[in-house]
Amino acid sequence: MNILVCIKQVPDMESKFNVNGEGSWYDSADLAWRMNEYDEYAVEQAVQLKEQAGGDLTVLCIGPERVKETMKKALAMGCDRGVHVADDDSFKKDPFSIASIIAEHAKVKSYDVIFTGMQSQDRGSAQVGVLAAETLGIPSVTTIVGFVFEGGKITVKRELEGGVKAVVKLPVPALVTCQLGLNTPRYPTLPNIMKAKKKEMLTVPVAELLKTSAVQETKTIYFPEKKGGGLILEGDIGELADKLIKILKDKTAVLA
Amino acid sequence: MQGGVYDLIAFANKVGAESAMFLVGSDGELPKYEGTVYLADVAACGEYNPDVHKQLLLEIIAKVKPDMVIFCHSSYGWDLAPRVANALKAGQVSEVVDFVDGLPVVPVCNSKLRRKVAVTTATTVLTLQAGAFSLADDPTGTPTVEKISAGGTGRIEFAGYEYAEKGGVDLTKAAVIVSAGRGIGKPENIAIVAGLAKALKGEYGASRPVVDAEWAEHNRQVGTTGQTVSPKLYVACGISGAIQHLAGMKKSEFIVAINTDKDAPIGEVADVLVVADLKQFIPVLTEKIEAM
Amino acid sequence: MEATREIYWNVGHGWTTLVPMYLLTIAAIGVLVYGGMQRLKVYRLGKPIDRTDDLWQRIVDATVTVLRQAKVIRVRWPGLAHGAFFWSFVVLFIGTALIVLQADFTDLLFDIKFLKGTFYKIFSISLDIAGLVALLGLGALFVRRYLLQASTLESTWNDAFMHGLLFLILLTGFVIEGARMAVTELGTPLSYWSPVGLVFAKAMAGIGGTGLQQLHVFTWWFHLLLVMVFIISIPFTKFRHIVTIAANMVLADRGPIGKLQTIELENEETENFGAVHLADLTWKDIFDTDACIKCQRCQDRCPAYTTDKPLSPMKVIDDLGRVAFSPVPDANLIETVGRDALWSCTTCRACQDICPAGIEHVGKIVEMRRNLVLMEGEFPGDEVMTAMEATEVNGNPLGMGYASRGDWAENLGIKTLAEEPEVDILYFVGCYASFDKRNIAVARSFVSLCQAAGIKVGILGKEEKCCGEPMRKMGNEYLYQSQAMENIETIKAYGVKKIVTTCPHCYNTLEKDYRDLGLETEVVSYVVFLEQLVASGRLQLKTDGFSCTYHDSCYLGRHNGIYQPPRALIARAGGVVTEMARNRDQAFCCSAGGGRILAEEKMGSRINIKRVQMATEAKAAVLVSNCPFCLTMFEDGVKGAGVEESLRPRDIAEILAERIVQPAARG
Repeated sequence: MNILVCIKQVPDMESKFNVNGEGSWYDSADLAWRMNEYDEYAVEQAVQLKEQAGGDLTVLCIGPERVKETMKKALAMGCDRGVHVADDDSFKKDPFSIASIIAEHAKVKSYDVIFTGMQSQDRGSAQVGVLAAETLGIPSVTTIVGFVFEGGKITVKRELEGGVKAVVKLPVPALVTCQLGLNTPRYPTLPNIMKAKKKEMLTVPVAELLKTSAVQETKTIYFPEKKGGGLILEGDIGELADKLIKILKDKTAVLA
Repeated sequence: MQGGVYDLIAFANKVGAESAMFLVGSDGELPKYEGTVYLADVAACGEYNPDVHKQLLLEIIAKVKPDMVIFCHSSYGWDLAPRVANALKAGQVSEVVDFVDGLPVVPVCNSKLRRKVAVTTATTVLTLQAGAFSLADDPTGTPTVEKISAGGTGRIEFAGYEYAEKGGVDLTKAAVIVSAGRGIGKPENIAIVAGLAKALKGEYGASRPVVDAEWAEHNRQVGTTGQTVSPKLYVACGISGAIQHLAGMKKSEFIVAINTDKDAPIGEVADVLVVADLKQFIPVLTEKIEAM
Repeated sequence: MEATREIYWNVGHGWTTLVPMYLLTIAAIGVLVYGGMQRLKVYRLGKPIDRTDDLWQRIVDATVTVLRQAKVIRVRWPGLAHGAFFWSFVVLFIGTALIVLQADFTDLLFDIKFLKGTFYKIFSISLDIAGLVALLGLGALFVRRYLLQASTLESTWNDAFMHGLLFLILLTGFVIEGARMAVTELGTPLSYWSPVGLVFAKAMAGIGGTGLQQLHVFTWWFHLLLVMVFIISIPFTKFRHIVTIAANMVLADRGPIGKLQTIELENEETENFGAVHLADLTWKDIFDTDACIKCQRCQDRCPAYTTDKPLSPMKVIDDLGRVAFSPVPDANLIETVGRDALWSCTTCRACQDICPAGIEHVGKIVEMRRNLVLMEGEFPGDEVMTAMEATEVNGNPLGMGYASRGDWAENLGIKTLAEEPEVDILYFVGCYASFDKRNIAVARSFVSLCQAAGIKVGILGKEEKCCGEPMRKMGNEYLYQSQAMENIETIKAYGVKKIVTTCPHCYNTLEKDYRDLGLETEVVSYVVFLEQLVASGRLQLKTDGFSCTYHDSCYLGRHNGIYQPPRALIARAGGVVTEMARNRDQAFCCSAGGGRILAEEKMGSRINIKRVQMATEAKAAVLVSNCPFCLTMFEDGVKGAGVEESLRPRDIAEILAERIVQPAARG
């Protein structure tokens, strides 16, 4: 079994965010970096599959030098080798470009199963996995919360709305995008952290894999107006309730 | 009728576009809509199969030749949209919350930032955040129905549904959480909080002291020593906001605090702080929401 | 005639006595040595650890401790009963040794007798009274074990055997003495130097000369046989504590108190971290299990045990001992002790502090936790794993953005060392005082106190990381060391001269644990620092009366013995402390030590509520503490106990800051 898991390094969402000088992305100063949460589920599932079926597990990550730290965690969790697509401008790449890079890498490697997170925590486009699968011409399922490999076939549970899950079967090769609830990612053991330092880490310049051009671009990035901005409401109970309902209607989707 | 259809109509209205609709449904349950509905029979292709649905949609798109293809940002939309976008070689923008100067706006980093995106391809594919666009007035109209049917089977085999077990509560999955703190005063008042949670179609949670006092079960405890949650709406009732609690819920998208103490730490993370006695305020609020 | 007695009177001093007696003795000692060697083999299964440095001082200290029964009498009445028995037994042992010395050596070989005259009289009355006191002590312990605390103390055949044997040895001793005196001393003034023996002699006088002589010979041999049984049974019964506890006092951890062993992580040869099998423990750990006499003092004080959690420090030691001395000692230690037991420990050190046998419980528990975390990636719950990951990413277990760590100090007029490295003290703030609003109030109070005393305070701001203490106590040595190394590097780079902490966990870690990793800077707890400022007059406080009770946190108290400075500060501020029943070295934990601050308390009842209830019993309106974890737990605890209206948890710095006399106002 030849497995690929694609991960992204994202800022911790608790970081102090600032907009960069060009107003095109968030500034990278004062950010703490970590593995995209959904990708952690992907790595865990990939490692579990490898442990079950044997084979080789590659972790791929696109970005500047610092993403290697995040890749090391994936290697410590149990990936066998890393492919670092070196790209200092990865934050500018749109989902289509990222998916193209992954597909370009994967098309010659004949992976049986590719795992990705369902979306990234920063961009949140939820497109890369599906686009890569479509480009590769392999079936894909998004938002999985259950995964079983048996008899050469994958059975997954796909999370729908309202607590309902669809059970779906698909042949390999295939791509799945992973959602919260799929598993509990393991905490790397110390011997595995040590071993990870010695695992193969191949660096590929992004130019070697990027053969397409972007289909969209970020015009501006900015802070939204404060939702309520620590609004303090006081007064008559009935009026308070009306005011709050109006705010909930305006600012959230829960009363729609 | 699955929610979201009217969001799509509202968006089309907002951008002032002519529109046509693709719907998997039945004759008996059509949306109030002034336009053409391409209706695929729910009996034949109700179970979502990406290959089949993509094909259906591409056929319609070939016929209608839209500038923009819009979906709800739901399990259906975020799965199907990229497939269609890829086939059309179109740029896709996901989870659109606004449309400003002809450009879609999307949230970045848990809604901490907003991003305005320009698509450089002829066709644009969008998915819309649930509730971001809604009709100002009640929908009207009767659609013109054009029936379509699916061919092929696709590579993915649907094998059934699984429903959430009754009783077990998973706060991490709840879209709305209404939490009780010590400020509720006595265990009987959990019912008030639970009532509001129900009206908001969410779950109720609790702070550590409430769970400690055994007024609520362990699996409802929110906080670093309980569960870390990030619902769309978090309502903190009578919770002063110990650090463990704040760390467990501050990733929520919108936070309402109901507290008698204006200076409670919860005020620092709350988007709205309602200064009121929750025992009086919540029943009124619940009643008004239920009446909507 | 000079006062003395004939040794071996009636028994005879010929070969028929000496040969069987010494053969028996040699055999008994042989069995003792054999039994001891068997146990020694088991101790040697453990890893090496140096506990014999400064050996003479160790022996001197241990001898004093044992002779004073210093640890035993910390629990007064049973301790004194044991002490009475012990001291008496020492006298009896010396007495017997003198007899052997005279009869079988000095007299036999050189015709020298020293048991005569006044010395004999003192000898006689000392032994006589020692025998009585020993009987009384033993009786008191018997009453306690089998009558008063029959339901709480676990009693086995071992205890019955020991009580029975000791009682018989003492009783037969008096019977022998009584029989001899009835024949030789009745009516003489010398008999009054053996008052207890005299009572026995008078009671037995009616038996008559021959009968008494027969009884004397028979009892003498029986007594000898009992003593041989005693010697033989030492390695095989709890009598072994006589040897093992005395030795354990010599082998004691000589501090710093509560400093854990630092693991060498980069050693590529190491295949296992922490303890899961016997060979992963040190020989001292195994030896400890042999020193336990199951007095339950640890268990009685364990906050986990007393709130119905599956941890008893005594049982942990017992479990490890059973594995060690089983025929094939390869059982999994963690499975044997149980994960829930291991995770329940708050490392409050109440067990280790009170243990009269010098057993080190906490280190063993942490070693087994280390195995779970470092080798298995296991934690007591997902919330703990989340906290670990948060610490990896942001340097604090709360998951707060690292860059906002210094935000609390805005507008306070203090700078980060990056902005201004020339300061009097570096305030190492800690995670809770940096991010938690309740504890930020404490940090701000401390800063205002320093400023009133004219101390220039600097902080590290976003360069400060969690000290790593909760992670380390949870077993995550790797994460601890990575946090510690970053902190040490930062502190060293700024050339800091003095560090002050408001968190006892930070304090203990920087002051002790960081030393292994190269920190040399002086570290002071804020209570000590403030007490010095007040004592020297640099900091002046208004006396504004209030009543309170004071909670000794485990890490300022038992770990560092800082009991007096905070009380002095409270007194200076006009506070009257009503002590809780359990204070100072007996203080009860708040529940949050040992990394438990990161974990959900799922089992049993709440420790923090129990402690708050103890505080309410002291009938004070304010519960003063000195630790951010304690404060956090008490803020929850007063709500849980339903006393938030009547008991207010406060940090000592807050109380003091309200009473500052600003320099300008001093006149």
